[in-house]
Amino acid sequence: MEKHMDKSTRTLQILNVVTAVLMVIATGLVFFYAPRERVMGEVQRIFYFHVPVAWDSMLAFFVTFIASIVYLRSRSRWWDMVGSTSVEIGLVFTVMAIVSGSIWARPAWNTWWTWDPRLTTYTIMALIYVAYLMLRQGIEDPDQRARFAAVYGIVGFISVPITFFSIRWWRTIHPVVIGNGSSSAQGGFDMTSPMRLVFFFSLFSITVLYFCFLANRLRLEKLAERVEQLKAKLLSA
Amino acid sequence: METPDTLNYMIAGYLFLFGLPLLYIVSWLIRQRNLEKDIEVIQTIAQNKPQ
Repeated sequence: MEKHMDKSTRTLQILNVVTAVLMVIATGLVFFYAPRERVMGEVQRIFYFHVPVAWDSMLAFFVTFIASIVYLRSRSRWWDMVGSTSVEIGLVFTVMAIVSGSIWARPAWNTWWTWDPRLTTYTIMALIYVAYLMLRQGIEDPDQRARFAAVYGIVGFISVPITFFSIRWWRTIHPVVIGNGSSSAQGGFDMTSPMRLVFFFSLFSITVLYFCFLANRLRLEKLAERVEQLKAKLLSA
Repeated sequence: METPDTLNYMIAGYLFLFGLPLLYIVSWLIRQRNLEKDIEVIQTIAQNKPQ
C-alpha cells in the first residue's frame, strides 16, 4: 500500500513538472513567437488560451459523462469521484473561457457581452453543471448522491454538443476556429502557420493541464475520503 | 489600416487566465492542509481514548 502510494505520488509529481514546463513553453510561444494579428492587435493573443480552455471545459464534462455511465454500471466510488472532480475543473475552465472571451469581445465586438447563440448555450451549460454540484451538496447519503449525480451527469451532457455545434448550426457573431462558421461572424481570422503551431501547442498543454488538475484533485478527494473513514471508525469504536 | 492598441485587454485577459487556476491550486493546498490537520486530530483522539 505504502509502496503503491509512493509510486502514485511520484507519477503525480512528474505530471506536475511536465505540465508546468508545457505551460511555460506555451506562454512563451504565445507572447514571443506568435505574430501580432493585424486587425485586432495584441488582444488576439487571448485566443491561444481562450479556445483551449473552452474546449477542455467540454472535455471535462465529457469525462463526467463517461464516468457517470461507468459508475452506474460498476457502482465504484472511484468513478463517482472522477465525475464530480471533473465537473469542478470543467467549471473553472468555463469561467476562464467566459471571462477571457468577454475581455476579447470588448475591442473585437465593441461589447462585453451579447446573447449570441454560442454565449447563451455556453452559459446554460455552465449553469447546468453548477446545478450538478448543488445537487451533490443537497444529498446526504453517499450512494444516493453518487447515483443521482451520475444520472444528472449523463442527462446534463446533452448541453455540451449543443454548445459545441451552436456556432455551426445558428447565425452567430462568434467566430469558428476550424471549419466554416456563420457569415455574420465577427473577429475571425485566418491562422498563419506560426499561429496554428502556437494554437495546437496551447491546446495540447491545456489538455495536459486538465489531466494534471484531475489527478491532483482526485488525490485530494481520496484524502477527504480517508478522513471520513477515520471519523467513522473513531465514532464506532 | 492601422492596428488598434489592445494591449490592456490582452494583459487583463491573461491576468485572469493565469490568476484563476492559481487561486484554484491555492484552494487545494488549503483543503489539503485542513484535511491533514483533521487526520492528526483524529489520530490524537484515538490514541487518548480509553479502551
